[in-house]
Formats: sequence, structure tokens, C-alpha cells
Amino acid sequence: MTLAIRSRPPGGAAVRRGRLPGGAVARRVAGHLVRGLVMVWVVATISFVIIREIPGDPVAGQYESLIQKGMSPEQAERAAAVLYGFLPTGSLWEQYVGYMGSLLHLDLGQSLSTPGVPVTTLIGAAARWTVLPVLAGTLLSFLLGVVMGVYAAIKRSGRLGDVLALSGSLLHGVPVYVIGLLLTAIFATLWPIMPSGGPVEIEAVPGLNPGYVGSLAHHAVLPVVTYTLASYGGWILAMKSNVVAVLGDDFILAAELRGLRRGVVFRYLARNAILPLFTVLALSIGMLFGGSIFIEEIFNYPGLGLLLVNSISTRDYALMGGTFLVITVGIVVANIAADLLYTAIDPRVRSGGSA
Amino acid sequence: MKRLTAIVAMASIVTATACGTTGKSETDRSGGTYTTIDGTKQINASAPTNPFNPVGSVFNGYNGMALAWPKNDPTDPNRFYPAIARSWTAAPDGSAVVIHLQPNARWSDGKPLTSEDVRVSIGLAYSQGGTAYALDPKAAGAAAEIQVVDAKTISITQGANRSQMFLNNLLSTVIVPAHVYGRLLPAGFWKTLKIAQGADGPAAERAKSVITGMADKVISFRPPHDVSAGPFVLERVNPGAALLKRNPYFYDSAAVVPDKVKVLNYTSNEQIWNYLIAGKLDNAPFTSVPTAVMDRIRQTGGSRIVRGYSPVVTSLAFNQALKPYDNVHVRRALAYLIDRNQVTRIASPEGGTPAATTSGIHAKAARAWLGKGFDSLTRYGFDPVKAAAELKAAGMTRRGGTWAMPDGTPWKVEIHVPASFSDWVSAAQSISSQLNDHGIDAKVITAADYTLYLGDLAAGKYGIGFWLMGLGPAPYNIYQRLFGQANGWQMFGGRLKHVAPGSQGNWMGGAETAQVTGAGTVNPGELTARLNFAAPDEQKRIVGVLARVANEQLPVIQLWDYVNAQFVNTSRYTAFPPDDSEALRLSSGVWMQLGMIRRRQA
Repeated sequence: MTLAIRSRPPGGAAVRRGRLPGGAVARRVAGHLVRGLVMVWVVATISFVIIREIPGDPVAGQYESLIQKGMSPEQAERAAAVLYGFLPTGSLWEQYVGYMGSLLHLDLGQSLSTPGVPVTTLIGAAARWTVLPVLAGTLLSFLLGVVMGVYAAIKRSGRLGDVLALSGSLLHGVPVYVIGLLLTAIFATLWPIMPSGGPVEIEAVPGLNPGYVGSLAHHAVLPVVTYTLASYGGWILAMKSNVVAVLGDDFILAAELRGLRRGVVFRYLARNAILPLFTVLALSIGMLFGGSIFIEEIFNYPGLGLLLVNSISTRDYALMGGTFLVITVGIVVANIAADLLYTAIDPRVRSGGSA
Repeated sequence: MKRLTAIVAMASIVTATACGTTGKSETDRSGGTYTTIDGTKQINASAPTNPFNPVGSVFNGYNGMALAWPKNDPTDPNRFYPAIARSWTAAPDGSAVVIHLQPNARWSDGKPLTSEDVRVSIGLAYSQGGTAYALDPKAAGAAAEIQVVDAKTISITQGANRSQMFLNNLLSTVIVPAHVYGRLLPAGFWKTLKIAQGADGPAAERAKSVITGMADKVISFRPPHDVSAGPFVLERVNPGAALLKRNPYFYDSAAVVPDKVKVLNYTSNEQIWNYLIAGKLDNAPFTSVPTAVMDRIRQTGGSRIVRGYSPVVTSLAFNQALKPYDNVHVRRALAYLIDRNQVTRIASPEGGTPAATTSGIHAKAARAWLGKGFDSLTRYGFDPVKAAAELKAAGMTRRGGTWAMPDGTPWKVEIHVPASFSDWVSAAQSISSQLNDHGIDAKVITAADYTLYLGDLAAGKYGIGFWLMGLGPAPYNIYQRLFGQANGWQMFGGRLKHVAPGSQGNWMGGAETAQVTGAGTVNPGELTARLNFAAPDEQKRIVGVLARVANEQLPVIQLWDYVNAQFVNTSRYTAFPPDDSEALRLSSGVWMQLGMIRRRQA
């Protein structure tokens, strides 16, 4: 690591000088893609085996659940028998070959718990209720955590810094379901200004109209706030730690000695400290495909996380496998994006790690 | 910060675009919007509006209609409220039923509901199976001949092997419009059905395959819009709720007050509690509620609980293939040591009443079935002295204050329960504590989920586990849980067979025959199977014998009888069914059809 690079904030001339040739970029992307595909295949294979090894007879479970809900044995038996007709048949190897063949055609099969409905339809319907709220929560918590993290580092000797660091530690330690339940208890039950369940008011007519958009936003507030508060602690603590480390670097000292404005110094600080967080951010966005199970359960938000939990409890093999796969692909894609993004924004990585 | 505001605004617009396309909020008319929860199913917005789909977006009593709605009679499964069938007459021997449809019944698109709709619905029901619509010619209670008498009258004849449940199964048939679903029936269907129900042979087998092969197509059918004969039609559904609006063509529209019904989805009991505390629900099924939450619900304006009969019983079941539970004295000792009052008070104070004894039947039904015979059953009231005597009779020994097996090895009682059923877990903990107080080393073991629990139970891995039973009102359903497949009796090709303990799902492992006071040696499985065909008088005699078998042999210890407790809120609507109403186990939609549910006057 040379002083010349350390003394220069990223994004300057060094970035332009460190550009990789087109062939190298293509090779890097191709390498990532091949590794990603292998990873998806491995995960698909492992999840296929694990899912079929999960103990428990889905038909018996379905029958007893229906009985428990008050259905007559006759009705329950009929409903369970209908589901039974959709159970996979054949040897494990035959099922595996069929499964892989279907995957190549992007066919994830038919759901067992929602007979006659393709798994892709269920995942597609659930994904929209996961992606936007969790994406909003992730970005909000990231922005809030980064900004507050810089302030917490700069003001670390003062009361403001202490308060900010404490808020991060506290929220980082509180489980997400506790935050969700507290917010529900306060804003949906004790002071009921927020809806406590569902993604949108059913009486609002779907469409790009104020009533529907307002209802969507209203219903998303508590889940988004829960996710923001639950993630904020991690971002602020990480950012504070990074900024404190960067504050000791020579280029900050040089900037201050040159008499640069505080705003410029602040930007130098933020840019260098934020770099490691980008990888985590990209992975967090990948993880959002799994949704936040607790948040979706607390707020009855019908996303991918809830879909996965329900599919496990009903032993819906096809839906379980499909949801696992979508989550895996999301993480793999995010991993590749994070790597490429890091390459693009950090001149030290682009120059082959010579820094 | 301006950028952040723009991002949030953009996210809102993108969210709206992703989830829908145009319109405005709708307002209530004078009947208002009735808000409820369907306790029998989770809302699945991806499911088609098709009653043949097990999770279809069809709600019984609202946009889903049967020929009639079952009353909650403790002993007679053949008592119904009229629905699409205005009335019916059954031959004295049950061989035929003539159904008269509501003369004014229409579909929500204005077309009249006719016998052809019923005929097509029955045809489609054959693809799904079920007792009344079985393809096996030997099956008891199968419909053999369906004859349209006129536009509003249809006659159905029962096959040679008659069942007391024929009328019940027939009237429970869900009816769909022939002009929407008719094309699902292949050409020549009725001829194929005749061949399938004829004598055995390759032609019959091929015909059966054709009919059962229709199942996938019928289940997957997705009508472009809901066409209902009920009081409501599905307007829209999203993952959080379903909205139904009035069907102006419903045959008794004047009886129905609400203009709309909102059915909310739920993923946990906590959501129902929150809705109830906030006063959002007009009616909700009972869920296990902690005392503090129940107090909050009671404080909500208009909130109250209606209670009625529920033919379900919770029990502690034994695997009699495992020692020491193969010894009836051990089972009896445990019955004497478990204080059922205390267990019920801890586990289900609002939703259950302590079992008076173990008869296999809910106490209300048991009194109706057994009369004075009920009082002659052993009560198994809490009695440690009798328990100790029974344990000694079983050869168990007490050393250092703890009971041991006859061979001197420690007796460790494991009570298995699925973790997701909070009332069962509380009950198991209470029982474990009680047994420990009396020198029995007991502990609770939870299974991760119900499916896993049932799998391990059926595999014979548990010595003691929780089990639902008493599923009336049909007596066969009641005793099939104790002396049916789980206890070794299986029906093969219309013949009953007993399989060995530990095989083919026989996890209860009881003896094939038992000595019963006043009845000698009986085969409880055979008696149970006969309940399906026996005349009412014989049914009563059989139930008396089976109750005594259950009481003396104790394959299970009956813990509490469920109470059908429902939450209602009278702030917006009144005239809910009163306590003990026969309608309580039916949906609010049926209450509305029956003229209940009135708008509260300001």
C-alpha cells in the first residue's frame, strides 16, 4: 500500500487510470457467471435432497389440520386426498432428473398446498410484497446509518456521539420481532393509527389512484420502519468504526493541513469509510429475496419469507424448492453484483490489489 | 434530504404500479360492511374462485353454497338448515332422496339455478371422490342414480350398500353453475359413470380412470369472475383480505343486511387479538387467548363471547404397544392422577370444559347417546390413593419416592405435543407437573410442527401424545378416532381387517378384542365400522358398548371437551346467534341467510 494512493481520496484521477481492458472485464464477468451457476446447481441439489428428507406426512398433516379447524372427517379426508394426488412420485433419482429438467425450462412445478397453481405464480405474487418494502427499509436504514455513523465518529467525544452510538448498540441488540411487536402494540392497538395486517386495504380499488397508493403506503409504514430500525444499528456501528479508522489516515491530515473546508473533508471521510459497506449492502439486497420472515408474519405481509415458512409447515416440496432457489439466485446475483461494484468503485481492487 | 424525499415518493409510485392499476375508494351503503375472519382457511389470493380447489377463494355461506347447511345436533348428522335445497324428502329406508330447490334461486349473473346445475355439480364431485360420490360399486352410501325430475326437482338413489350418512353427504354437496363449469364434464360422462359404477372389470377400471383423471382439471379451473348463488359475490381478493359484495339475485336477499363482507386474513393468533382489541371484527372464531389479552378484548366496546357445542375433544393417547402403557392399570393410574379441572383451567379456560369422564364422546353428545348409562361410567376423578393401588396392581414399585417399572428400571414418562399448539403445550406442562408431584418422573417433549408430530406419532415413536377425538355428530366419526386406522382397523375393499401394532399406522396398539362389563368379548373396530350402516336404535346400543370399552380400557384419557366459543362485537351489528344455537358452527354468511345479523340502530 503506497502513500501516493492512500493520500488520494477515491473517485479521483486514480479511478480513471485504473480502468481494466474490455477483455479482462468480460473474463471476470464470465468467471463470476460460471461460479454463480455452479453455486445455484449445488444449492438446488442440496435443497432437493434436504426437502425430501424432511420427516412428516403432508397428507396426514393436512387432514388433521382441517379436523382441527372444525371440518368434518369426511370433508377433511376429501380435501387431503385431493392434495395427495399432487405428491411427487417415482424414485428419488427420477424426481431429481425431472426437477432439474424442469428447472432448465424455468418450470418450478405445481404447488401442493395451492393445487393447480404454478409455483412461479405464487413466488411472483409474493415477491412484489417482499422486494419493495424490504428494499425501502434496507436503503433507508443504510442512508440513516451511514450519515449518523459519520456524525457519531466525528462527535465521538461529545454527548451527540455517545447518544448516536448508544442508539446503534441498542437497536442492534433488539430482535426484529420485538421491534415489530412493539410498533404494532403502540401504533396498531393502543393508538390505532396504523393498520395491523395485510399489504393494502381491500376496499381500495386497485390502480394508480390516490386511495390505493395511499393505502399501500399506509400499510407499508410499520414494516418499513421495523426493518429500518432493525438494520440501522448495524450500519451506524460499522460506519462509525470505519470513519474512526479513516480519521487516522494521512490524507485526512493532509486535507486538514491544506485548510480544506469541513464539507470536503467530510466527503473524503465518507467515501473511504463507506466502501466496505457497499459489499454488505449488495448482499443485504440479495438477502431481501428471502424477505424478513418475522416482519412478514407480524404484519401479515404476504412475501417470500412467509411463503417459505408456510411451504415448510405444509411440506409443499415444490414451493419450498422454488422459494429456496429464488432466494439462492438472489444472493448469488447480489454477490456477483457486489464484487463487480466493488471493482468499479475501488481503484485499489481494479489495479489488481497492488494498493 | 431532497433526494431522499424523491426516492420515497418514487418508491410509493413504483409500489402502486406493481400492485395494481386504477380506481377510487368505495363507500358503504346502508347495510354497511361486515368484517370477519374465516377460521377454516387462510386467504390465498392466488387460488382460483373455485370451490373444488381446497384453498379456493370461496367462502362458505357467502359466495359458496351447498344444498343445505348442517345443524350442530350432538347425535343426528342428518339435520340441516335449507339452503339451495328448500326442502327434501328421504325414503324411510334411506334408499332415495328427492330434493326440491329454492323456486327463486338465481346465480349472480341473473340466470336461474336449476336441477341441471345440481346434476353437473354432482358429476364434478365424482372426480374428487367422497363417500356419496364414490366410484367403487361396493362403497357404502354411494349415489347410484341421479335423475332430473323437473327444473327445480332432482332425485338421487343410493346404491345397494346403504349408509346412514347418505343424506348428510348429499346435502353437503357444493353447487356450481352449469353454464360456467359444465364444459369440465367430458362428453359421455354419465355413460362413463355408469360403466365405472357397474361390475368390476377392465372397462370399469378404464371408466374410473377417466373420471378420476378429471380431478386436476376441475381443481385448476379458474373462472374469469365469480358466479355465485349465495348472498354475496367475490369482488376482489388480496393476500390480506377478501371483499364480497351483495348478490342482488340471492333467493332471499331481503334477509341479508350487510352490503359487503370483508374477510380478513391472519397468520397468527396475535393478529386476531389485535383486531378484536381494536374492535375491527364483527365476528371471529375463538383462538387461545392469554388472560391479560382476554381482559383487553372484554374491555372493547360491544365485545362479547357466544358459546355453543363443539363436537371435538382433546385427549392424552397411549401407545399400548410400548411398556408400561400396555397395562390397563397403568393407564387407569394416570387417569386418577391427572386433575382435569386444573389442566383445563390452565390450558383452555374459555374454550373447553373438563371432561366428566372418558367415554370417547363430548359430554353433551354422550348424555344424549347414553342417557342414564353415562352416569354408570367410571369418572376417574383425581384420587392419588386409587392411582397408587392401580400402579401396584400393574407391578410398579415406589423407591425413594419415585415410581419404577416392574423390573426396577426407572419409569420416565414423556408427554409429546406439537410446539405450535399453545393450549396443548400448557396442558402437557400441567400434567407433567402433576405427575412429578406424585412421584412419576414426567417431562414434556415438543415436536417442531404438527406434521412432524403426526408422522412420529403414526410411526409409534411416542408412548403418550395428544390426540383429537369425539368428532361428531356421526357416531362412526366419533369412534373411528379410537377404534379405526390409528388403532389397527383398516377397510380393504369394503372388508374390515385388523393389522398388528406398530404396522401400517397402528400406533395405538390396542387389543383386537376386549372384555366389557355387560357385553362380554367385543371387537370395538367391528362395532365402529357397523355404525356406518346400523339403524338408529342399533347405533345407540353400539355407542353404549363402545363408550364402555373406552371407559374401561382407556386407550386415551379424555382431558377436555371443546366449547365453540366465538367472539362477536355488537357495536355495528346485532342479532348474532345466542348461546347454544345450532347455527354457531356455521359461518356468519349462513347466519345472514337465516335472517340473523341486523344493523345496529344509532
